Amino acid sequence: MSDKPQGLAAARLIYQDRTKRVRELKAEGRKIMGYVCLYPPVEMMTALGYVPFRIFGRYGEPVSAADTVFTPVVCHFLRSMVDQGMKGNYSFLDGIIGSHTCDIGSVAVHIWKDYIPEPNFVYFIDVPHTDHLPAQEYFKGQILDLKRKMEEFAEQEITDSMLAEAIALHNRQRQLVRELYELRKADPSPLSGTENLEVMVALCSLPVEEGNELLQQVIEEVKERSQEQLDERARVLVWGTVLDNSALLQVIEESGASVVIDDTCVGTRAYWDDVPVGGDPWDALARRNLVDLKCPRTYRQATFGQLKRDYDTDLDSQFGYLKNMAKDWHAEGVILQSLKYCDSHGYDVPGIRHYLDTLGIPSIYIEHDYTEGSLAPIRTRIEAFVETIKV
Amino acid sequence: MIHNQTPLYFAGVDIGSTMSKVAIIDDEQNLRTAVIGPTGAEHRRRANQVMIEALGQAGIPLETVGYIVATGYGRMNVPFAEQQVTEITCHARGVMTLFPEAQSIIDIGGQDSKALRVGNHKVLDFTTNDKCAAGTGRFLEVIAETLDLPLSDMSQISLKSSRPVQITSICTIFAQQEVIRYLSEGTDLSDVLAGMHDATASRVVRMARRIGVLPPLVFTGGVALNPAMVKAMEDNLGFPVLVPSNPLITGALGAAVIARDKYHQLAARGRTPAVNARRLEEVDLFGGGAGK
Repeated sequence: MSDKPQGLAAARLIYQDRTKRVRELKAEGRKIMGYVCLYPPVEMMTALGYVPFRIFGRYGEPVSAADTVFTPVVCHFLRSMVDQGMKGNYSFLDGIIGSHTCDIGSVAVHIWKDYIPEPNFVYFIDVPHTDHLPAQEYFKGQILDLKRKMEEFAEQEITDSMLAEAIALHNRQRQLVRELYELRKADPSPLSGTENLEVMVALCSLPVEEGNELLQQVIEEVKERSQEQLDERARVLVWGTVLDNSALLQVIEESGASVVIDDTCVGTRAYWDDVPVGGDPWDALARRNLVDLKCPRTYRQATFGQLKRDYDTDLDSQFGYLKNMAKDWHAEGVILQSLKYCDSHGYDVPGIRHYLDTLGIPSIYIEHDYTEGSLAPIRTRIEAFVETIKV
Repeated sequence: MIHNQTPLYFAGVDIGSTMSKVAIIDDEQNLRTAVIGPTGAEHRRRANQVMIEALGQAGIPLETVGYIVATGYGRMNVPFAEQQVTEITCHARGVMTLFPEAQSIIDIGGQDSKALRVGNHKVLDFTTNDKCAAGTGRFLEVIAETLDLPLSDMSQISLKSSRPVQITSICTIFAQQEVIRYLSEGTDLSDVLAGMHDATASRVVRMARRIGVLPPLVFTGGVALNPAMVKAMEDNLGFPVLVPSNPLITGALGAAVIARDKYHQLAARGRTPAVNARRLEEVDLFGGGAGK
């Protein structure tokens, strides 16, 4: 047994320096494929031997270069991401796959192509905004087009067996993540939201096999943690925009709340649904990424195509999955958070608050902007929210 | 330990960004004394001074205060308090003590504003604005400074208006420019000032409507002392509002009421805080001694 850090300690090191491992792998001859958001299928990258590497911004670093290519009405996360690219901090990538997550998400990929010389392979995959059958067919077509381009670039074909193996590995990771989250159903949760985030960020900075190994270590470690004495904090579910940095969760967890589960993309959204096996894998990838993956950028209202107005059914169709999440993890309240200018999430807030109201689940909405400065007033609000729950 | 025969008091200390307030109540929840003073730059030191002043005014020694709750922006800088509770919860409690029928609260302070929905002695929902000067007392101060008019004069003149102008700018600075433009075009000062009060009220009411507004509504905060603002709020809400006789003190009062609750909860379990160990001293943040 080496004295290399394991489990949570290892996850923290990776979280603090995300590119370290992939740079090592690159030096050994591996190729790294960057991707933005969850729509580019990571299984395809793994199948071709690439290490999938999710691209984020850099929290806390002021944006400079990207201000020359973006108007003010752009969320700080994407702005920071492009800024990092323009500063050359992603030059180790062999390729980038972006997607039509949102308006700015699309533009950002094209700006990358125009303003940042590397990598050579910059691909944009279109993603429809609805989840009905024609949309799934269309998205499958987009994925198949990506397949052809990736094969051309990699000078290698994605065979059915390579893909099946990759799907199995990534599904295994999802299973392990769900196992980890299960442990947080306990009261008090043996793993904080902050610690969990570090593990999630580590996972999208590693090859899938290494991520699975890390997860196994973390699960064992967390299982062995002794039951702490009573935790007075309120158990909360955190919903919202991409959280690639633990600063906001830290503030929340220092203000009387304990984050026991999340509905965010660096968290559960990436791992809650497996890619179905047994049928056509390309259908499966399209279905899982477009339909099963719960990001508000996909319009999910039940009455699509009908003229009847049914707000409550719409809300249940869009947000019903939250009901079970909150119930199963015994969340006493929901913290809705979004980045300023994130339309996808911001537009959903009134509906989600109304829905949670009908379920009798207290909620609060926090808008922040990917900077430390925006966090200070949030403490008081979270504290006040916890005071209303814990009467 | 405090014996049952000794009179028992409870204090709430509300350190706001502009004003510091202390309220002392007796065991029957009667207000014994209330003190308000500017927080100033040395707000960490002010907590002690305001408390000493309040005790002096009430004529009671510190040891008779059974429990102290600190609230407000500076609540972490009140070392002699037993507990910190946010101003949202404290305002609600203070208002519900004065107006048990209240269903909504709007508080406009020097630097922030908040709206609450309350009921059953609880906060049901709340929203705050602490990012933007528009819709806070600061906006009125900026205009007063620009026009070189005391706030009280602005209020009186504004009430004479028959046709308030529409101030459309969201931002205080741009609104300031609009005010100047109106005046330079010869618009009556009372109409401009009424428009300004209306603009402030309309922003706050819009914020409040996000969580729903239900009368009876209580209007608190320093800005509630301004009769032109009370009128503007009523015009924007569409119904009359209730204003406490001392609208600045509701946070401190609520904190004191919560302090009393906490004391009795502990006493019922056979425990009370060791108040003899409590001392009023200045917060020493830099390790160099308490100074003056």
